[in-house]
Amino acid sequence: MKSVFIVFNQANTERVEFMLDELGIRGFTFFEQIQGRGTNDGDPRRGTHTWPEMNSAVLTVVPDEKVDELLSAIRKLDHRNLEVGVKAFVWNIEQVV
Amino acid sequence: MSIYKTAIDKPISTTLIFVAVIVIGLFCLAKLPIDNFPEMEPPYISVMTSYAGANASEIETNVTKILENGLNSVDGLKEITSSSKDYMSLVTLEFEWGSNMDEAVNDIRSAIDMVYDNLPDGVSRPLIFKFNTSSFPIIQYAITADESYSGLKKILEDNVTNVLNRVDGIGNLSLSGAPERYVYIDLDPQQLEAYNLSVEAVGQAISGNNLNLASGSVKMGEEQYQMRVQSEYIESSEMEDIVVATTSLGKQVFVRDIAEVRDTIKDVALDERVNGREGVRLIIMKQSGANTVQVCRDVNKEMEKIKKTLPPDIKIQTIYDSSENILNAINGLSESVFYALLFVVLVVLFFLGRWRATIIISLTIPISLIVAFIYLKMADSSLNIISLCSLSIAIGMVVDDAIVVLENITKHIDRGSNPHEAAIYATNEVWVSVIATTLVIVAVFVPMTMLPGMAGVMFKELGWIVTIVCCTSTAAAITLIPMLCSKLLKAKPVSVDAQGHLIEGSSKAGWYDRTVVRFLDKLDEKYAQLLRWCLSHKLATMSFFVGMLVITLIPVVLGAIGTDFMAQQDNGRMSVTVELQRGTRIEKTMATARELEGLFMEACPEIELISSSAGSNDDASISALFNTTNNNKISMTIRCPKKFERERTIWEMAESIRGVLNQRSDVVSYTVSTNAGMGGGGASNTIDFEIYGYDFDQTNILADEFKRKFQEIPGARDVEIDREKDRSELQIIFDKEKLARHGLSTSVAAMYIRNRVTGYTAGYLKEDGEEYDIRVRLQEKYRDNMNDIMDMSLMDAYGKTVKVKELADVEEYWAPPEIKRKSRQRYVTIKVTPEGVSMGEMATAMQVVADKTDIPLGVHYDFGGTYEDQQETFSDMLLLLVMILMLVYIVMASQFEDFKNPLIIMTSAIFALPGVIVGLLITNTTLDMIGGLGFVLLVGIAVKNGIVLVDYINLMRERGYKMTEAIALSGASRLRPVLMTAMTTILGMVPMAIASSEGSEMWRPMGIVIIGGLTVSTFITLIVVPLLYGVINRGDEQAKLEKRRKSFIFMQLADPSADSNAEKTSKTETV
Repeated sequence: MKSVFIVFNQANTERVEFMLDELGIRGFTFFEQIQGRGTNDGDPRRGTHTWPEMNSAVLTVVPDEKVDELLSAIRKLDHRNLEVGVKAFVWNIEQVV
Repeated sequence: MSIYKTAIDKPISTTLIFVAVIVIGLFCLAKLPIDNFPEMEPPYISVMTSYAGANASEIETNVTKILENGLNSVDGLKEITSSSKDYMSLVTLEFEWGSNMDEAVNDIRSAIDMVYDNLPDGVSRPLIFKFNTSSFPIIQYAITADESYSGLKKILEDNVTNVLNRVDGIGNLSLSGAPERYVYIDLDPQQLEAYNLSVEAVGQAISGNNLNLASGSVKMGEEQYQMRVQSEYIESSEMEDIVVATTSLGKQVFVRDIAEVRDTIKDVALDERVNGREGVRLIIMKQSGANTVQVCRDVNKEMEKIKKTLPPDIKIQTIYDSSENILNAINGLSESVFYALLFVVLVVLFFLGRWRATIIISLTIPISLIVAFIYLKMADSSLNIISLCSLSIAIGMVVDDAIVVLENITKHIDRGSNPHEAAIYATNEVWVSVIATTLVIVAVFVPMTMLPGMAGVMFKELGWIVTIVCCTSTAAAITLIPMLCSKLLKAKPVSVDAQGHLIEGSSKAGWYDRTVVRFLDKLDEKYAQLLRWCLSHKLATMSFFVGMLVITLIPVVLGAIGTDFMAQQDNGRMSVTVELQRGTRIEKTMATARELEGLFMEACPEIELISSSAGSNDDASISALFNTTNNNKISMTIRCPKKFERERTIWEMAESIRGVLNQRSDVVSYTVSTNAGMGGGGASNTIDFEIYGYDFDQTNILADEFKRKFQEIPGARDVEIDREKDRSELQIIFDKEKLARHGLSTSVAAMYIRNRVTGYTAGYLKEDGEEYDIRVRLQEKYRDNMNDIMDMSLMDAYGKTVKVKELADVEEYWAPPEIKRKSRQRYVTIKVTPEGVSMGEMATAMQVVADKTDIPLGVHYDFGGTYEDQQETFSDMLLLLVMILMLVYIVMASQFEDFKNPLIIMTSAIFALPGVIVGLLITNTTLDMIGGLGFVLLVGIAVKNGIVLVDYINLMRERGYKMTEAIALSGASRLRPVLMTAMTTILGMVPMAIASSEGSEMWRPMGIVIIGGLTVSTFITLIVVPLLYGVINRGDEQAKLEKRRKSFIFMQLADPSADSNAEKTSKTETV
């Protein structure tokens, strides 16, 4: 089991939801209206007058074999419109209740 | 849930809400009356009191002064003026515009009650009446006739007035100068004396035989009859056969033996002519609140039908139709509004280059404007010049908000978001700043609704309309626009090829991209270059602009730009009043009027119709108060073709008519006024020079001196003193002792004389339900000179005749016919109409003359009239400007969270001045009230441009760009929105500035001021604002960084885990 943390411009919300549905990923936690800033490039998303855009994030826990499929879909999404922006990070899941 | 998200998620509800607004708006539009101006209640109330037998100065001391003192304490009173004439006192109270007149009437009533006991006995109860704009005539017809003239009054009453009275909204119809039927019994005094008869005896004999009397009822058998004596005259010829007396010889004296019975029309007192032909004037007034245009249309339609039923020699011509002017003005303005709409749409299309986007933006225009109609309906107002002007102003502004929102949404879509999400998140990013810019507009226009005075009444509507329209457009911009964008805008067409690569469709540049976009891109680039250059040559650039400002201010200092209250309009009408020598008899005045008509026609062949009246009909009614005609006065209304259909302007024609009048030696004074604006709040343009002082002779001499001097001022026309010259009167002074000896009293003797001169009313001749007066009096040749009056015989108490000269002396003496007072002081006014020079210049010239003249002790002078109004309005406007500036500053400072930057933007508003001045100079226009208003608006629009720019520079700096780079970048990025806002507003004003329709003189200055000012200020904003920003915020970046560094001191600490020794020292530091 791995957890995938997907951070994206909120303008991508619908696309991310669609992607999860397509891949048959049911469970996720959705964080709405969060702020962030890229390491190398991309506009900060701070919801201020200066940087008015905002991010959202999805934390989803998937079986190990699903991770590649998911990351590939996310790459496609990112490639589709680079400026809108999406990022994903993968962790190991130790235990589940 | 945010409002825009709700709107996007519920497209049907959103659409239907706006559809509902449109439907209600269109319903209101259909129900809106059309008028010239918003309805206003003139704040004047008059108190009329009559006191029989008193002359002007007695009235002044015994009635007027007491009333004035009592009324002076009424709340909200601005000024009190009065006029004391023979038998009558008229006190007029002026209140502030917009005060509650009903309350004022109540206050006045109680004030009068308090002083009523102090008035002399025999004074009538003071009559209070309000003025109202609806008491002005809306249509006047001239009706002429040949054969039917003598019966004209009856024909018109039966066929015209009765029919027209049925038209909805008609208030009052009156015929002026209609011939009235009278039966005159002209007696021969010698015959009377021969038979020892008096005028009264003949009168009693005639009225005694003119009776219908019930004589009780009679029972006959089974029946019961009413009995009546029926002996009223059926024909006037019956009167000739009445026996007046029987002589001692038994011979009967018939009326025909001693008198001539004439069944004719009344002697002329008022002479009405149309193009020199006998005629009458039909004056039509509307009920208050009725729709002028509708009533006029109905009346004209009805009149067409009536014309067919009248005898063929009766001709009906229109002298004045107020609906014509209103419709012309309104149509002209509506046209301007439509052109403005078209221009705005074209500008948007040019900058955006997309049909769908343009349609979405254009939709906000009608929606926002339609809401204005709902407001107008709810405020009981009308479609008028002011409300349409406001719409014209608003058109350029309503698209601004929509453009900002749409621009951001398209930016998101271009990046690849889908339209639905782009609409939500893009709106979220800009909706606060959209509301903030609307707040600036509100800060400019809401104070306008608080403007006091007459200008306030006019501009209350403008302030509200623009505020409401702009707020609606903002509401639409954050609900309807995102919704429509989410539905109508298309995401970029993309496809995936066989290898799974993304292919962006239709990336090849279209015509628009190749030309306009390239041009605009180049413009952005050049502008950024220019900005960089200016930023490195700050001093040179700044001194260039300040120099330009100073140079353009020179004409203002030199007084090359005149000021006026309101531009005069060419309505194609003139009114001329001519005063002849006092005491000129009506027949002579009529003859002069005919001559003048001929001369006018010769001087101005364009004239279509001259309607003139001379003399006065009745001098005891309220209408006589407003009537300026007198035996020696002629008043004429001249109608000319529309201004496109003739070569000369109305002012040139007025000049040539003045030329004619100047050559006439019998004309004592005259006025030629080109604003025969009845009921239209037409702008009169007189400067009143008021001389206050108690002593008549002193002030008269001074007034004459000033009149002479004022006439020498170039451009002064129609210089006129409003105090009438002393009037000659014949006084019959009875010797009371002699009267007593004959058993007479003064009142009886006075009545006898009146009967002989004016006539004894011996009942009425009845025909077809109408009553005609029967007048018994002496033949005219026995009462038309002083000797005849002295020779008149009166019947004394013993039945003997006695001559007037045995009882009385007749003296001729002079008395002032009217005493005028203002602020409880006697005053005389010299009215001056400026021609070719502005009012302000004329007033200055008059002030110079006054300064050089010795003013006697106890006398002082002041300026009044339209000039006073103008001064008041201008000072109100100045106050308004200050208030607007403060409010705008507050809105901006809170938006920027900064005290300095708003000042930069406000400075840029000053640079609008050169544009205004050049615009006015080129078009040779004077600055008037409407133009001044345009300047106030200009501040708002110029400021809005500045905000867009400064806001973006701030943003760029916060995003970490260096000052110069931030400025150049934001300049290039914001050039298009600024140009777009400016161009929509400028082009929206163009139709107004170049309009030539009737009444367009009024709003043209506003168009010129805004176009001139905004064109220049846009370019200056683009250079001066970034420049000033650069200068003022220069040291800021370093200072901020330094401050931050100081406040977050923990970074300077050593790492506690790395060096445990340092821990001890760091404990004393604050973290």
